[in-house]
Amino acid sequence: MQREVGTLPLAPALRARLAAAGFQTAQELLDTGPCGLSKEIGISREEALEALQVVRQECQGDAARTAGGSGATRKCTALELLEEEQSQGFIITFCSALDNILGGGVQLTKITEICGAPGVGKTQLCMQLAVDVQIPECFGGVAGEAVFIDTEGSFMVDRVVDIAAACVQHCHLIAEAQQEEDHGEALETFSLENILSHIYYFRCRDYTELLAQVYLLPEFLSEHSKVRLVVIDGIAFPFRHDFEDLALRTRLLNGLAQQLIIIANDHRAAVVLTNQMTTRIGQSQSTLVPALGESWGHAATVRLIFHWDNSQRLATLYKSPSQKEATIAYEITSHGFRDVQPPAVTASAGGTELNPRKRPRTEGEKQ
Amino acid sequence: MVVLRAGLCPGLTEDMIQLLRAKGIRTVVDFVSSDLEDIAQKCSLSYKALVAVRRVLLAQFSAFPANGADLYEELKSSTAILPTGSPSLDQLLDSGLYTGEVTELMGAPGSGKTQVCLGIAASVSLGLKQHILFLDSTGGFSASRLYQILQAQTEDEEEQARSPGETEAGFVLQLEALQRVQVERVFNIYEVLGALQELRDRLSQQVVSSVGSLKVVVLDSVSAVISPLLGGRQSEGLALMMQLSRELKTLAREFSLAVVVTNQVTRDSSSGPLKPALGRSWSFVPSTRVLLESREGTWQKPSTQRAASLAKSPRQPTGIQVELDIG
Repeated sequence: MQREVGTLPLAPALRARLAAAGFQTAQELLDTGPCGLSKEIGISREEALEALQVVRQECQGDAARTAGGSGATRKCTALELLEEEQSQGFIITFCSALDNILGGGVQLTKITEICGAPGVGKTQLCMQLAVDVQIPECFGGVAGEAVFIDTEGSFMVDRVVDIAAACVQHCHLIAEAQQEEDHGEALETFSLENILSHIYYFRCRDYTELLAQVYLLPEFLSEHSKVRLVVIDGIAFPFRHDFEDLALRTRLLNGLAQQLIIIANDHRAAVVLTNQMTTRIGQSQSTLVPALGESWGHAATVRLIFHWDNSQRLATLYKSPSQKEATIAYEITSHGFRDVQPPAVTASAGGTELNPRKRPRTEGEKQ
Repeated sequence: MVVLRAGLCPGLTEDMIQLLRAKGIRTVVDFVSSDLEDIAQKCSLSYKALVAVRRVLLAQFSAFPANGADLYEELKSSTAILPTGSPSLDQLLDSGLYTGEVTELMGAPGSGKTQVCLGIAASVSLGLKQHILFLDSTGGFSASRLYQILQAQTEDEEEQARSPGETEAGFVLQLEALQRVQVERVFNIYEVLGALQELRDRLSQQVVSSVGSLKVVVLDSVSAVISPLLGGRQSEGLALMMQLSRELKTLAREFSLAVVVTNQVTRDSSSGPLKPALGRSWSFVPSTRVLLESREGTWQKPSTQRAASLAKSPRQPTGIQVELDIG
C-alpha cells in the first residue's frame, strides 16, 4: 500500500521517529519487519510489533474497500441510500404540525438539537419521544427502546407515567376503531410497565461523567440492540458552568459531536440533545441565540428552536438537510406534547389545559 | 527522505549499503549530496559503480522542470469547468467549478452549505453524466433531498413536452443519476485519509466500472473531522490537517478532479465578527473561498434566500455578492 506514514493512526512520538529515519510509505514499514524496525528507530520489539499491527490493519481496511468488500464500510450509492431512507421509520411526536415540518418525525441516524428558553417544553418533548419510540410498528412506530441521559435532574418519572398512559390509551382507541389482528397482540406487550422498563436512565453530574458515558455508550448499545433513541437532556449545563479553558471546551464538544454521529449512524438510532439559550449583545440590540457557541451549531444535523410569542409556544425548524424552514405552534397538555387544539373543538377532555406543573406565563413577567 | 535499500536500483547491493551506513550515509539525499571520490576511497568501492548508482537515483527521485508553454497547453486541454446547478453561483465562480483546484464553501449553521453541495452533485450527475464522490462527515447527506433536487432539475429541462413517455424517461434518468453519486460516511480524520488513499489507488489502477468518469469529490465538512484535533499543546492536529490538504490538492491536480470542501465559521469572542474555522494555515489551501450567509441574520424570520460572497479567488475580484435560492 502506498499509504503515507503521516496518515497512519500511530502515536506522534513514533511518527516523528519514523519520519526522521526516512520511512515514507506503509509498504516500507511492512517490508522492514519488527526486528529491523526496532533496530532502526531504537524502540523495543513489542512496540515495533504493535505499530506494525496497526499499520497492517489500516492497509487491510483500505484493500477491502478497494476490492468492494462490505462489512463495516459505510459506502454506498445515493440510490441505495434513498431506498434505505424511504424504508426507515420516524419517531412521531404526537404533534402533527411538528411532525410535518420535520418531514415525518424525528429521523433515525441523525442528531436533532432542541434549543429553548427555560420552561418552554424541551424536557417534555424528550420524555414524549422516549415513550413514542416504543410504539409498535403496526401503529406506525419504530418499536425501539430509549436511553435517557440526564444532566440537569429534570426527569420526572410520574410525568412519564402520565404521558405513557395517554399513549397507551391512544393506541387502544386506534385498535378499537380499526379492528386488526396484530393490533391486539402488540397491545399486550405495549403496557405501562413495559414502556417504563425499556427507558434506560443515566444520571451524569458533570462533563467528565457525560464524556465517559458517551464513550461507553457503543458497548451498551451493542448489548441492547433494540435501542432507537438516545436523549441527552441538557448538554449545555455541564459545559457552561465552571469551565475556564474555552478552547478545551470547543475541542471536547467537537469530539463529542463526532462520537454521537458515529453512534447514531452505526446503531441506526436517533440522537436528541437539548440546549439552552444565551443572549448575544449586538451593536444596537440583543438577541437570544443557542448556547455553546458557533462551532456547536454545526454539530446537530437538525436544529429546532422553541420560543414564546405572547404565551403561545412556537417551534421553528432552523436547520435541516431536507426540509424548509418553518414555524408552528404546539401545546403541552396533561397528556404530553400535542398540537394546538383549534378553539371550535371543545369535545376532547383536557386538551386545552396548560401543563399544571409549569407556572403560567403572564404579560408582566415576559421580557 | 528515502532510506537506501538493496534493490532500489541495479548496482546497489546489500554490502554496499552496509559500507555506506558505516560511514553515516543512510538516505538517498545523503548519498546524492556527498562527494563520490571521498566515499570511493573511504568505503573502498569502485568510483564508476557509485556514479552509475547516483545517476539512476537522480533519475528516479528528482523532479524535472517543465516549460511554461507546455504547462499552459496541458492545462488548457485537461481543465474542465463544471456548472454548479445554480446560475448565480456559476457567475460568482467565473462560470463554474474548475477541475484541478480546491474550492471551499463556508458559512454559519443553516446557511446552506450542504444544500449547495447537493445541488452540485445533482447537476454533475444529471447534466454532465459524470460520477461524483461525496464524503460525508456530519451525517447531513439526505438522499431524499437529492432526489427532490434532481426532480426539480429534470422538470426545468422538460418543461415543454409532458407526455407519459417523457416523464417515465425522466424517472429513469433520475435513478441513473442517483447511481452515479457515491456516498461514503467518514467520521474521523483517519477514515477520511483512508478513503482518499483508496480513491487514489482506484484511479491510478483505472478501474472503470466502479469509478467511471469521476470528476468531483465533495468533503462535507472538513472542520468536523479536524476541529477535535486542533488546539492544545500538541501540534499533531496541524500536521494531520496539512497531510489532508496535500492529499486533496495532489488528487485534484493529478487526476483533474474538482474538490469541494465545506468549512464552518467561528467567532473570536461573543461579539466579534465571524471568521472561517481552522485558522490561517488552512486558508492557504483552497484556491477559491465562498462565504454563504442568510439574509435576515436571525432565526426569527425563516426564508430560503442566501447571499454568497467571494472571499478568495485567483481569477475574480473578491467581494462580489450574488443571491442564491436553496429552496
